[in-house]
Amino acid sequence: MKIRFLLPVLAVVYLAIPYLWGGNNYVMSLLVAAFIIAGVALAWALLANLGGMVSFGHSAFFGVGAYLSALLCINYRLPVLAGILMGGIGAAVASIAMLPALRLRGPYFALAVLAYANIFKILAMEFKGITEGAAGVTNIPALPTVMGFDFSSKLGTYLVIVTIVLLFTGSYHLIRVSHYGAALKAMHDSEDATRVVGVNSTLLKAMMLFVSAFMTGVVGAVNAHYINFIDPDYAFDLGWTLLPMVAVVFGGYRTLMGPLVGAVGIFMLDQLVFKALIGTGHQIMLGAVLAVMVLFSPDGLVPLIGDKWKRIRRAQA
Amino acid sequence: MFDLILQATYSGLLSGGSYALIALGLALVFGTMRVINLAHGEFVLLAAYIAYTVESQMGWNPLLALPISVVVVCITAAIVYLLVTRLDKNREMNSLILTFGLGVILTNLVLFIWKADIHSTSVGWFQEAVVLGPLYSMRSELLFFITSVVMVAILWVWLDKSWYGRAVRAVSSNRDAAKLMGINPHVTELISFLIAGILASFSGVALYCASVIQPALGNALTIKAFIITILAGIGSIPGVLIGAVLLGVSEALTITLLSSALQELTGMLLLLFVLLALPNGLFGRAGRRG
Repeated sequence: MKIRFLLPVLAVVYLAIPYLWGGNNYVMSLLVAAFIIAGVALAWALLANLGGMVSFGHSAFFGVGAYLSALLCINYRLPVLAGILMGGIGAAVASIAMLPALRLRGPYFALAVLAYANIFKILAMEFKGITEGAAGVTNIPALPTVMGFDFSSKLGTYLVIVTIVLLFTGSYHLIRVSHYGAALKAMHDSEDATRVVGVNSTLLKAMMLFVSAFMTGVVGAVNAHYINFIDPDYAFDLGWTLLPMVAVVFGGYRTLMGPLVGAVGIFMLDQLVFKALIGTGHQIMLGAVLAVMVLFSPDGLVPLIGDKWKRIRRAQA
Repeated sequence: MFDLILQATYSGLLSGGSYALIALGLALVFGTMRVINLAHGEFVLLAAYIAYTVESQMGWNPLLALPISVVVVCITAAIVYLLVTRLDKNREMNSLILTFGLGVILTNLVLFIWKADIHSTSVGWFQEAVVLGPLYSMRSELLFFITSVVMVAILWVWLDKSWYGRAVRAVSSNRDAAKLMGINPHVTELISFLIAGILASFSGVALYCASVIQPALGNALTIKAFIITILAGIGSIPGVLIGAVLLGVSEALTITLLSSALQELTGMLLLLFVLLALPNGLFGRAGRRG
């Protein structure tokens, strides 16, 4: 993201939106939920774009982050912010269990990870002594009040999640322009050739998996402290993989803004249009969006619009 | 205790046979097209719900739903095939996303039409016990197993002897060489999709007769079929059969010896073990995956 884009974005996100809708809890709660999806979408896109891996298992990281942070804060009285950080680290540690899957490529990896995601859900169901099982964890501490400002309010949570998502976007950008990013890009073209010149491709992919898992875990933890209640079906729901994936495919996973624009767009569509029109089974539209986008514009909507824009500019010049 | 283990092994053998029928469709399509059809479990689900409709709406025996479900599922399979062939860029990854999306559409279509309730057959004949010495099973389970073994055998002979069967094998081993021999790969791929549809219809109807169905099942079936494909290694029909039985037996033993809640975990651990210890599967050809 270039600097001249960054300032207006920051102004809109931190000043205009809170100023316009800060008091409107409905709009704010929609935005919080949208940015939670955006956070996971960004993590998913990082793995897909830089690591070249399509994951069907991000719900595992989301759930692990949520559970770990909630349980640490309840049982060990950890401050919420430390809990959220631990949630991210825990999700990254959980991704170690997925490392054997890195030996697999393409579809094999994607499906092995889908299978892994189920393991975590079952574990959360079965280790009742720790996780309360299917009953779920209640009374999760809310985000704290700092210097008189209540971060557990809708507006407060919005500011927290937006900041986290922007920090993640920045880190994603930094990774992409670093020499790690260059190596990953080279790997995308030919993994064998990149190995030959001395890049440890498995290590690099593992690092991308850790980063992506960490981000997803943090977002999961924030969500847990925001809604104050989680159970295995909710925290490990396949929807936490599906919605970000649709968002990324919708927005385009090659760009930084794609996942964010896609997430906010698709979440609003799903909540305001699909749910109202269809009700039960509204996910059918998400499936349809996924299929249509992959068929007609696999690089997403943002690059498509970008191309059109450039063409118009060139025509005018 | 010994009796229990014996009985669990027997039940596992039977359910493993039924898994094989589901997994074979996935493996066949993957063999010819290098595409994992993530909507495959939903094909099975669709057939199962058609059987339910035939039983509940018309009062017929659910087995009579077979022709209808073969037609419906094959049409669905053909549509999925046509959509997958439209992908030109990065087909390996994009086909995953596409079929995943189509699976979501099918699951929600089922949810939309038939609601989220759990259904099972009310025909009593299926639930009656069959006693073989010390071993018990339901009639439907045995029927499912026998159907499965027969279908696998037919498929094996077909792949081995018939012209199209050999064409399918030729395309899966070397697409370009097969083209040069005058085989149209598109027709072959379509055929493998249709056969997967037929297998899924049989499994779906049998599943409805032998067990309970609900919309969320499709995804779980796809995962099971995938685990079996990995266990088997690519390109081995007996491998699929043995991998399925292995999965079925270890699940049944887990239920008997530990807890029914850990059933799904067994499959995952088996998958993990095979990935770590035998990266080519139990019977697969040597070579890297992907």
